[in-house]
Amino acid sequence: MQLLDIRNLSLELATPEGLICAVDRVNLLIREGEVRGLVGESGSGKSLIAKAIMGVLNNRWHVKADRFSWNGQDLLRLPYEEQRRIISRDVAMIYQEPSRSMDPTAPVGEQIMESIPDHVIQGVSWWQRGYFRKARAKALLHKVGIKDHLTVWNSYPYQLSEGICQKISIAMAIAKDPKLLIADEPTTALESTTQAQLFRLLASLNQLKGMSILLISHELETVARITDTISVLYCGQLVEAGETATLLKRPRHPYTDALIKSVPEFQPDLAFKQQLYALPGSIPTLQHLPIGCRLGPRCPNARRECVRTPQLEKQQNHYFSCHFPLNRSDDE
Amino acid sequence: MNNLLDVKNLFKTYQKSTGLFSHKKIEALKDISFHLKAGETLALLGETGSGKSTVAKILVGIERPDSGEIQFDGLKIDCCDHNATNRRIRYIFQEAARSLNPNQKIADILHAVLRYSTTMDNEQRQQKIAETLLLLGLLPEHANYYPHMFSGGQLQRVALARALILDPKVLILDEALTALDPSLRAQIVNLLLELQQSTGLSYILITNQLRLVRHMADQTMVMYQGRALDYAPTQQVFKAPEHDYTKKLLASSPS
Repeated sequence: MQLLDIRNLSLELATPEGLICAVDRVNLLIREGEVRGLVGESGSGKSLIAKAIMGVLNNRWHVKADRFSWNGQDLLRLPYEEQRRIISRDVAMIYQEPSRSMDPTAPVGEQIMESIPDHVIQGVSWWQRGYFRKARAKALLHKVGIKDHLTVWNSYPYQLSEGICQKISIAMAIAKDPKLLIADEPTTALESTTQAQLFRLLASLNQLKGMSILLISHELETVARITDTISVLYCGQLVEAGETATLLKRPRHPYTDALIKSVPEFQPDLAFKQQLYALPGSIPTLQHLPIGCRLGPRCPNARRECVRTPQLEKQQNHYFSCHFPLNRSDDE
Repeated sequence: MNNLLDVKNLFKTYQKSTGLFSHKKIEALKDISFHLKAGETLALLGETGSGKSTVAKILVGIERPDSGEIQFDGLKIDCCDHNATNRRIRYIFQEAARSLNPNQKIADILHAVLRYSTTMDNEQRQQKIAETLLLLGLLPEHANYYPHMFSGGQLQRVALARALILDPKVLILDEALTALDPSLRAQIVNLLLELQQSTGLSYILITNQLRLVRHMADQTMVMYQGRALDYAPTQQVFKAPEHDYTKKLLASSPS
């Protein structure tokens, strides 16, 4: 069953120089119980897509999509309040830099209690509600792996380490039992041991509760650890999407190929201190996007055809948009 | 071959006042010793609060150690004597964008470094700046740019230029590669490896990315609460870690 089905999502920013197309016709499909990774470098629009799903982009952004359906309902056709109601009921997001996205003026316990929605405590008599909320918030803290809830309860976010703040923001996100959890760069600020804990936590949420997870990161190697499927973005264009194992083994787009080759984790027979594979040049800014395939100027096998935007091709659940895909099989 | 940098028995405690008269002592470093040869890389691993940044701060003279000795090329040096030491040991910060003054052109930033630390005149300085920019794959025209006109990878190159313009022997990379995008990181890593080969530069690499440590570092030191646990050639640390903490740290990452 498809939970989220987005076709040709375009996000355009109104600037004095005209519209800038920051996200260009991106497809995203999340099934129930699936862990999907969204990989891309800074400025590739991955956080924008997450914000568009949550409906928290401001008015300067124009959201257009051929289809934007959540659980079979087309969200863009609904009035804004209705969209927000559905999304806030079913989708939760963990924002970047947890310690900054929490309220600095309130103790953590209060914030968690506040994040528990009313429908969870419906049916509880009113004099017991405060107690019930508190018990529930404590249970949430235990669930995300904070054993010592008493010290955390009365602390302010600045007093806690980034790893604990991250866990607390997960606790707040899962307070309403969302169907989809969007985790935006959850591990950038964390150390490797805490990262491993966090991934175990996300994996167990996915397996025990069947929660779908959209994991956003710029590092392919961290995403590949727990995801079933991966979508790779470059400069707002979807370059490749498919099952994690296939995508890593047989990338079809030069950008995915470069990403995999540039990470020493995926190169077991890389000699010590050997040069890594790197694409020349740097990511273009939004004001100077190349036409056609946006990887064009940096692509090692770019040809004249690349000034036209390539169509998304599909081969056995593996999508890629390139005129000259790599790793051709014999029958192509 | 002689050691370029010899650090012996470094101790450092911070005092934190917990009340009007009471203090709490935090032992940031306990008996840290290591050495670094020219053209080699030492990686410092550990969680926050393990003291790896304190080591870096002591080496560039931001902090003064309580006791211990630092020898450079066989001679004892005082790292807080910036005039004498800052051209040998240079430091790169985590975020290039925040560590460069947005009001100054790249040329002004680099000129200032040369003006304070060398006796070059204006012309020599200009020539040196152009040379350094070329070395790092930038153009001499970039000297007239402001930091906001660069992309992330180029900014990191500018930060590298600021560190390398004094021809240092040791470069400290304090999480300098963590925040970069993967394709840029590969570019910068390549650049660093190339510089190491051509000029014999030594690096002290402070990072959490184990695979990168494995790729770049000759020696690895694992630190935990101010103490050095494992200190051995990288291959040995990764293959046969001695301490439980190191095992846990290595197990947290795949590969």
